[in-house]
Amino acid sequence: MIEFLANWLAFTPVFAVPLLLATLGLIVNERAGVINLGAEGMMLCGALAGVACYIEFGESTAVGMTAAAFAGLLIAFLFAFVVVVLRADQVVTGITIVFFGAGLTGLIGLRWNDTAIAGFQKLDLGFLSQIPFFGKVVFAQDAMVYLTVPIAFGVWYFLFRTRAGLNLRAVGENPQAADAAGIAVDFYRFWAVAAGGALCGLAGGYLALAAAKIWVNEMTHGRGWIAIALVIFARWMPGRAVFGAILFGGIEALIPRIFAAGWPVPQYFLQMTPFLATLGVLVWVGLAGKRRSAAPGALGLPYVREDRW
Amino acid sequence: MPDRAAAPPAGAYRARRLGRLNLEVRQSIGRVRHAAFIAFGLGVGLAISVAILLAAGVEAANIFDEFVVLTFFDRLGLSSVLIECSPLILVGLSAAVAFRVNFWNIGIEGQFFWGAIGATVIAIFDVGPPATRIGLMLVFAIVGGFLWIVPPAIFKIKLGVNEVISTLLLNYVAYQFVLNQIYGAWQDPRDRFPHSEAFDAAERLPLLGWEKVHLGLVISLVAVAFVWWLMQRSRFGVYMRFVGANPHMALAAGIPVAMTIFLAVGLSGALSGAAGFVMGAAQEHRLTGTMAAGYGFSGIMIAFLARNNPVAVLIVAFMIGGLYAAGQSVKVFYSLPQALVSLIQAIVVMCVAASDFLVRYRVHWLRGDGR
Repeated sequence: MIEFLANWLAFTPVFAVPLLLATLGLIVNERAGVINLGAEGMMLCGALAGVACYIEFGESTAVGMTAAAFAGLLIAFLFAFVVVVLRADQVVTGITIVFFGAGLTGLIGLRWNDTAIAGFQKLDLGFLSQIPFFGKVVFAQDAMVYLTVPIAFGVWYFLFRTRAGLNLRAVGENPQAADAAGIAVDFYRFWAVAAGGALCGLAGGYLALAAAKIWVNEMTHGRGWIAIALVIFARWMPGRAVFGAILFGGIEALIPRIFAAGWPVPQYFLQMTPFLATLGVLVWVGLAGKRRSAAPGALGLPYVREDRW
Repeated sequence: MPDRAAAPPAGAYRARRLGRLNLEVRQSIGRVRHAAFIAFGLGVGLAISVAILLAAGVEAANIFDEFVVLTFFDRLGLSSVLIECSPLILVGLSAAVAFRVNFWNIGIEGQFFWGAIGATVIAIFDVGPPATRIGLMLVFAIVGGFLWIVPPAIFKIKLGVNEVISTLLLNYVAYQFVLNQIYGAWQDPRDRFPHSEAFDAAERLPLLGWEKVHLGLVISLVAVAFVWWLMQRSRFGVYMRFVGANPHMALAAGIPVAMTIFLAVGLSGALSGAAGFVMGAAQEHRLTGTMAAGYGFSGIMIAFLARNNPVAVLIVAFMIGGLYAAGQSVKVFYSLPQALVSLIQAIVVMCVAASDFLVRYRVHWLRGDGR
């Protein structure tokens, strides 16, 4: 039983990290008032770019992850141009980004399809990794798991402890007031979307390089949408996002463990659980009622200054 | 840190020198200009799509042939467009009905699957006499699609749960359920492939007698007429429009807002279920794991391009049917993936969505030094 528990907890971060990176990106997005439903598409582009550059440029995870972030960034530039500069409908454009990402990666990803890669390796931290139970769970993860901790902290610090973060939240809460106070609304929104896209790209890259260690079409399999739901669950707070990502990463990590343990559970019903759990969380947040007010005031609304000329 | 109230931010000076773009919200726009802007967006989208096809290795001379001549002006091509567009019309209507009341039904594929599952249950267990079998399949498909959208509809109306996420999550659940059936109890006993056994003759939609065009086209056209009547001519259509435009005002005016949303959304699920029936009973002749792929997004894009107008849905679905049919032949002749169709649709939608900018705003360049 302890063996099972240790295995499960040791596998949790691999599934929690992509959810957390994407959720953090979406929190930055939505705090600036832009709802980004395209996370799934940005993650797909990150995943393909990560695997392709990993294979083509010396099997380096650092190169792969950098490429993944850039791929997410590029798609985010497109999204930001359409919804921030051209002020198009964020819901339609976001959904379109998902299929844009799926179509683009399906078309150019053929070369790298189904090529297994080594990807991220678990670090060996000497005697720390040898500690029973905790060594395996805490001190034998890959480098990106440890790197995600400062990223999460950085997002929180930026949003809640810097002037720029305050401006960004003001833009998401009340762009009219922010504009009147001299904050460049479009500037903050554009770069918030860009940063969010880069984080979604990283999430996809990690998914491909650490969790799946392979590129296959549509491999994100709904994780972008789960991240969008986690933003609501986390009430737009990075700290709570960490908690939500570990919870859902834990659910995902449990599925292969149960298969490995050979328990007689119907496979496909088991694979529904992350989606049903996400739906359950949304309903729970809805039942809690007043939590809805945690959403940024201007979420999803384009801003036009409408001054006279 | 400088005090914002005391000193204007540094950017303001620069803005004064260079000037900036100013957006004015248009109060109205002429029909011709409106159409021209949308045509411009469409044109840009198609141009990018052609560029992608060229980059993917389709010869320039063949693009026009493949996508226009052999698709719309060829007996076999046109018949396959009509076959392809039957389920597309239904999913387009499904999205349009839900969008009219501001409910983003992204779960069309899930409802499509449940429609196909409903039809399959009747077909493989041979429920009822053969004469009424096909009708019963349609009814069960409609009920299946309807039931699958009921939870997100109730969560939205009662709890304010974001329907974009809830309907989409249920797509994955429906898909896993289909896999469970086709790899399990319903696996074809004949060839052991992961799909249900083939439907019998009585469980297939009859052909209309022109190439392989089937009764599904008639079902789709009836659905267009019904939705047109419902939206444009019935009292319920007025309710829908009112609720979609301003639910608070609609409630104040005494319109049963929650019931209007529920019925419109339920109809949306039912139409998607009917699309699953057409796909199962007329095209695949069985339940498969891939039968719904792409129909969710196509439904959304058809409704978006048609501005939720049922007659326009018919026209747009016909064009997208052409893209599907041409996509099939391009797939065979150039070994390009199905993803190409997704990509082209996404690009066209994005360009048209972006062209809304010109429709909605008038752009002025304000010089920094006064006018």
